[in-house]
Amino acid sequence: MLKGFNFQVHKIHFFLGKVQLCLCLSNESKKMGKGGKSHEETKSGEDENMAAWLVGLNTLKIQPFKLPPLGPHDARVRMKAVGICGSDVHYLKTMRCADFVVKEPMVIGHECAGIIEEVGSEVKNLVPGDRVALEPGISCWRCDLCKDGRYNLCPEMKFFATPPVHGSLAHQVVHPADLCFKLPDNVSLEEGAMCEPLSVGVHACRRANIGPETNVLVMGAGPIGLVTMMAARAFGAPRIVIVDVDDNRLSVAKNLGADGIVKVSTDMQDVAEEVERICKAMGGGVDVSFDCAGFNKTMSTALSATRAGGKVCLVGMGHHEMTVPLTPAATREVDVIGIFRYRNTWPLCIEFLRSGKIDVKPLITHRFGFSQKEVEEAFETSAGGGSAIKVMFNL
Amino acid sequence: MVIGHECAGIIEETGSEVKDLVPGDRVALEPGISCWRCDLCKEGRYNLCPDMKFFGLPPFHGSLARQIVHPAYLCFKLPDNVSLEEGALCEPLSVAVHACRRGNISPETNVLVMGAGPIGLVTLLAARAFGAPRIVNVDVDGNRLSVAKELGADGVVQVSTNMQDIPKEVETICNVMGAKVDVSFDCAGLSKTMSTAQSVTRAGGKVCLVGLGHNEMTVPLTPAAAREVDVIGVFRYKNTWPLCIELLRSGKIDVKPLITHRFGFSQKEIEEAFETSAGGGNAIKVMFNL
Repeated sequence: MLKGFNFQVHKIHFFLGKVQLCLCLSNESKKMGKGGKSHEETKSGEDENMAAWLVGLNTLKIQPFKLPPLGPHDARVRMKAVGICGSDVHYLKTMRCADFVVKEPMVIGHECAGIIEEVGSEVKNLVPGDRVALEPGISCWRCDLCKDGRYNLCPEMKFFATPPVHGSLAHQVVHPADLCFKLPDNVSLEEGAMCEPLSVGVHACRRANIGPETNVLVMGAGPIGLVTMMAARAFGAPRIVIVDVDDNRLSVAKNLGADGIVKVSTDMQDVAEEVERICKAMGGGVDVSFDCAGFNKTMSTALSATRAGGKVCLVGMGHHEMTVPLTPAATREVDVIGIFRYRNTWPLCIEFLRSGKIDVKPLITHRFGFSQKEVEEAFETSAGGGSAIKVMFNL
Repeated sequence: MVIGHECAGIIEETGSEVKDLVPGDRVALEPGISCWRCDLCKEGRYNLCPDMKFFGLPPFHGSLARQIVHPAYLCFKLPDNVSLEEGALCEPLSVAVHACRRGNISPETNVLVMGAGPIGLVTLLAARAFGAPRIVNVDVDGNRLSVAKELGADGVVQVSTNMQDIPKEVETICNVMGAKVDVSFDCAGLSKTMSTAQSVTRAGGKVCLVGLGHNEMTVPLTPAAAREVDVIGVFRYKNTWPLCIELLRSGKIDVKPLITHRFGFSQKEIEEAFETSAGGGNAIKVMFNL
C-alpha cells in the first residue's frame, strides 16, 4: 500500500513560517510523516496542502494532498471544521463500507465547512472570504436519476471519502462552487459541518412526509437518531419518541427534546413488550418510524409499532440481509421507505440553523486539532461511541 | 362458516332507503364492510379498517350461497356487456388495480411481476390497462408462463426456488425487459421473490408486496434501502369496483381467459371444485355457476 509513495518532511513546511495555514499544528507535528522518505525543500516555498489519509487498516497519516486545478465552476476552500462520521470510522476499521473498498490511500472525512480562498472564472455567487458549508457529492447531471432530481442515487456519484474519491479532512479542497453553501453570520463553521449529518435527517423527514400530523418513533439515539429527531421536530412532528439500548444516549435525547424515551434490548423476544411500551410512551399511534440503527430487531420493532397505513424509513445501515416480518407489515400497508444520503437539503438545513429552529451545537461533544496525534485520538474517540456524539476537527 | 367472497349476482330485493338499485339489476359485490367511524375509514383507507367485516373471514360468513344480504352501496351494477362471471372476477382484479395505484403504474413504468398465478396474471392485465409499456412475468412453472405470454406479457422468465440463482435471474430479467425495472410486484411473497425483486428494481423504484407468502422474510433490505427502492404494502383494495367494471366494459381488460374451470352448486361439485383449485397447475380461476 505504501510502495512508491513519497512523503514530504513536514518539519520543513512548518519552519517556512507559513503559520496561518497551520494554526492548529501543535509541537506534535514534528512526528508527522514518520516512516516516510524525506523530500527536498519545496522550491518556491509554497504552502503544501496537507490532509489526513487512510493509508491502511486502522492507519491514518497526515500527508501532502495535491489539489486538482481550479476549474471555471470550482471553488478552493480552506477547511475549518470537519466532523467524523460513522462511515469514516468504518473505513478506518475495515477499509470498506458496503460495496466500496479502499484499494489505495484515500483522504478521509466528508462533513465539512470552510472559507472560500479562490473561485473559478464562472463563479458568480461566491467570493474569497465567504464562509461555506460543503455538500460532499458530485453527481453526473446526465443520467435519468440526476435529471429527475434524484441525484443522490446517481451511479456515477463522486463523494468525499467514498473510494476512490478523496475526502475533505485537509487544509484545502477544490469543489464545485454550486455545492458550497454560504453560511449566515450567526451560523458557525462547526454548525456548517453539521449540515451533512443533519441533511440525512432532513431528507428522511421529507421522504416520510413528516408534518404536524405525524407522530414519530426514532429507533436509535446515536448521532443520526438525534439529528433525525431534531429534523422531525423542525418539520412539525407533534410527538417524538426515541428508543435506544443506552441510558446515557436516552437522557441526551430527552434533553434535546424527545417527548418520550424507551430503553430497549437487543433481544428479539422483547419486541412485543417494547412495542407496547412505545405506544404507551407515544400516547397515540405511531405514524412514521425511522430506523436509524438498521438491525433486524429495530426494523421488526418499527414494523410492528407503526400503525396501519404508516411508514417505516430505513435510514441506518446495519446488516446487509435482514430477517423481518415484512408480510404482516405489508398487509397493514406499512410501507418501507429507503433513505440514501440526501438531495437539495443544504439550503433548508442552513435556514433551520439560522432561525434557531434546530440547534446542533449540543451534538458536538469532542473537539480536536489537525495533527497526527489528534487525528488518531479523534477517530478513537469517535469509534468508542459512548458519550461521544459528534467529534469535530477545528483546522 | 360459509365460504367464498368473489361474487356477483342479481338483486332480489332492496331496503327502503336504497335508491340506485332495483330487483333484476346485475351486480358485482365488494366483500368488505368497514366501520366508517375510525380514522382510517374517514381517511379513505377503509381497506385497513380494524373492524372490517369481510366475506369468508372468520367469524363472518362468506357468499358461496344461493342468497345473501349485503349493503347496497357495496353492490355495483354491471353493464350489459359484462357477464356475471366477469363481475365475480372484479374481486381478484381489484387487488391488482389497487396494487397498480399504490405502485403508481403509468406509461412510464416498466413492470416486473413475480408469479404467474391468478394474482400475478390479473396484475399483468391491470398494469397494462394502467399503461405500463413493458411487462415481464416470472414463475417457476413453464405452463403458467405461456398463459402469461398469451395474456400479453412482453416477456417471461422461468425462475427457480434457489436463492443462489438470484444474480443470474436478475441478469436474465433485465435482458428480457430490455430496460430498467421501475416497479416490481411480488405476487408470491417469498424470501426468494422479494430478494429478486429488490435486487432487480432500479434505484428510486418500488417493490409492491402483494402476495402473502411467508410471515418473516430474509431479504437484502439494506442494499435496497440504500438505493431508495421502497417496499409498498398492498392489502386488498379500496374504491376499485367502478374502475374494474369500466375496464371490463371497454374491453381494456379481458378476464374471461382466466376462468379455466366451472362447477355447479352441489355437494359433489363443491368438493371437486375446491380440490381443482387447490391442485394449482393449469387451474387458474375456478368458478361456480349457481
